Amino acid sequence: MGPILEARGVAKSFGPVRALRGVSFAVAQGEVRGICGENGAGKSTLIKVLTGVYRSDRGAILVDGVERRIDGPQDAQALGIAFVSQELSIAPHLSVEDNIWLGHRDVPLLHRRRALRQRAQEVLELVGLTHLSVDVRASTLSLGERQLLEIARMLVRNARVLILDEPTATLSDREIAHVFATLRRLKEQGRTIIFITHRLGEIFEICDSVTVLRNGYEVGSFAISEVDRAGLIEAMLGRPLAQMYPPAALTADGPALVVRDLHIPGTVGSLSLAVPQGRIACLVGQIGSGAAEAVRALAGLDYTARGEISVGGLHLRLGSVPEALARNVRFVSEERAAEGVFLNLSVRENLVATQLETLGTGGWMSRQRLTAAAGRLAGMVGIDGSRLRSRTRELSGGNQQKVAVGRSVTGAGKGVLLMNEPTRGVDVGARAEIYVLMRRLCEQGYAILMTSTDIEEVVGMSDIVVTMYRGAKVAEYAGDAIDRSRILSDIIHQETAVTETA
Amino acid sequence: MMEDAGARGPGATATRAHSGWTARLRTGFPIRVVGLSGLLVLAAITPGFTAAPSLLSLVNTGSLIGCVAVGMTFITLSGNIMSFALGATTGAAAIVCAALSGFGMVPALAGAIAVAVGVSALQGFIIGYFRANPIIVSIAALALIGGAAEFASGSRTVYAAPGVLDFLKGRVSGIPLTGLVFLASVVIGQAIQSYTQFGQRVMMVGSNLRAATAAGVRTWRTVTGAYALAGFFTGLAGILIAGRYGAATMEYGAGYDYSAIAGVLVGGTAIAGGEGSVSRSFFGVVVIASVTVMLLLRGFETEYQYLFTGLIVLAAVLLQGRRRA
Repeated sequence: MGPILEARGVAKSFGPVRALRGVSFAVAQGEVRGICGENGAGKSTLIKVLTGVYRSDRGAILVDGVERRIDGPQDAQALGIAFVSQELSIAPHLSVEDNIWLGHRDVPLLHRRRALRQRAQEVLELVGLTHLSVDVRASTLSLGERQLLEIARMLVRNARVLILDEPTATLSDREIAHVFATLRRLKEQGRTIIFITHRLGEIFEICDSVTVLRNGYEVGSFAISEVDRAGLIEAMLGRPLAQMYPPAALTADGPALVVRDLHIPGTVGSLSLAVPQGRIACLVGQIGSGAAEAVRALAGLDYTARGEISVGGLHLRLGSVPEALARNVRFVSEERAAEGVFLNLSVRENLVATQLETLGTGGWMSRQRLTAAAGRLAGMVGIDGSRLRSRTRELSGGNQQKVAVGRSVTGAGKGVLLMNEPTRGVDVGARAEIYVLMRRLCEQGYAILMTSTDIEEVVGMSDIVVTMYRGAKVAEYAGDAIDRSRILSDIIHQETAVTETA
Repeated sequence: MMEDAGARGPGATATRAHSGWTARLRTGFPIRVVGLSGLLVLAAITPGFTAAPSLLSLVNTGSLIGCVAVGMTFITLSGNIMSFALGATTGAAAIVCAALSGFGMVPALAGAIAVAVGVSALQGFIIGYFRANPIIVSIAALALIGGAAEFASGSRTVYAAPGVLDFLKGRVSGIPLTGLVFLASVVIGQAIQSYTQFGQRVMMVGSNLRAATAAGVRTWRTVTGAYALAGFFTGLAGILIAGRYGAATMEYGAGYDYSAIAGVLVGGTAIAGGEGSVSRSFFGVVVIASVTVMLLLRGFETEYQYLFTGLIVLAAVLLQGRRRA
């Protein structure tokens, strides 16, 4: 049997930018295909060509061995190709059923409700949302359930090929397990899945084969048994990566950040921890555990938070970002576009955003000093100096994240860096660079407190791990005691997932 | 333009989302060039446009709109869309200026500026601190300022003390003082935007309020400051009006906010904030003022001017919407 979906020599340029320079690949029915590559490798462009959002400049797309012209998402849908984007398109105020049928072109103005209801029920079962009533409002669903609902929407449109763009980026581990279980079930039914992710572990977990893109070229497609992790990274980067996670410096100083009885009404009951200077501590917990909220509170972004916080021995009042900055407590947000960077402003304006006072006296700002300071920071975090005047929107996710981290670096040697999801949506090369940067800041005298839902990252980067469950600390591990399975069982806690993940 | 036609030809592979001429518009540059050169041609073939009286009228009209537009630019840049209260603020400042002129020039000017800055800063505080909707606040302020001014002036025209404000009608080497005030406003406004930390904070708050908060900006201060600045430049317009007519009523301020909004939008400052500049608004105002004068010269009544300004604003908004999409 021939491939269900095939691309032959697909090329696509945007003005001078050649996003795809001739990519060919074919997926068989019932296959789970991973697509990976650095940011800018052409992954999203390829997907958008396959789903008719873009028309390719050259090349052909074949569905069931027949060359097709896909002119827009409607055409793709008619051919059974569906795309689940990273930004979910769920309407939160509508019911689950309405969301499933929303925008479906086969729903007549006057329709028999019962048939639609039954079909909705069927697809919900298919994606493993059996416990859910179709009448529930979508806003009550967890992120993982929304992702599955999004897949259900596509199934009701008879999708044979499902294309998922980083479906797990914002999900907790248990939710990821649910999504994967669903994907396996769909595969057994003979549906084809194309899966884009930055998390290499997931490729080995769920995919049968993987296509690697680099700079708009296709490096190759491999059966998953043919490649290993290092080989995959090398294919993506075009060079081997010596190590992903740089080691900690040997010496650590006294406590830089001491948190005692941090309390956030409705989120965190009471949390105490200490981070020594030069060390990376990680709060780990599922969404709702309060880990991310605790870090935000320490950054001064929560007015309701109470607690005794000391930074370098000095008291820190919560609820004010300027006060946190005065103690050199800096924050890198998990929501890069919404809170982390100013997408409309230039890279240099972003880099100096938290240190305007240093650019002039009496409220004035010297453009020269601005450019100089931004250039220095850009050099420190590894951003090409020629991009300083570019709009931040034009940068890849990885470079945007470097801008966000770069803003937190100051001349002051000591400080606390708070990072929520330091590498969410960041490709493997930039990720390694950010890890190196974090360690370098530690050596400079920073203490880092981060959260992450990427368990590999937690184990790889942390010197101290504090697990959390429903707003309370479960346990604390340091050094060799940091262990993946113990962390997982801590954050899932008593609701042991064994029975549910099936 | 020729390239536009080419981009839509059969060889084009542009997609729906990024097709042909709208893609050109997105870059912003050609539209401004085309618009401005078209305007110049129109002006050149309008009889009497280059005559001294109409040029003078252009400078006067443009300068009054312009001062308000410089102020409006800060409101738009700070992410608060626009204010409908600046016309009323202009009128109120003119009334205060005329009323206080009996005490001398300095109290008249200072009083007008103080009132304009005060009422605007208060709006800014309400919007910045309580996160109130800027449009609604400005509409409420419009009614309040109008009501208060009518009450205080007893709905009568307030005449300035003879001679005190006459210097405002003067000229410096042939250029009306009004025009110089406007130019100075543009230069000062642009300097504040580019060379002060406050100006940078306005851009940050307008670009992304949450990110600005996370970056440690006390956003309510910045927003209050942006409105206070808007009040300052609006106050200048009020003073110029009082000087020009030697008298003031609320009517004299009517419509300036609207023309200023048109100028800001035509200049290309983003309605969503965080993008644009005072000098862009300068060009926008030149366009609006030229159109106004041209319509007058061609014998159109004032209602046509409103109609035309309305169409220009609509076009600017539509183009910006396309650009974002």
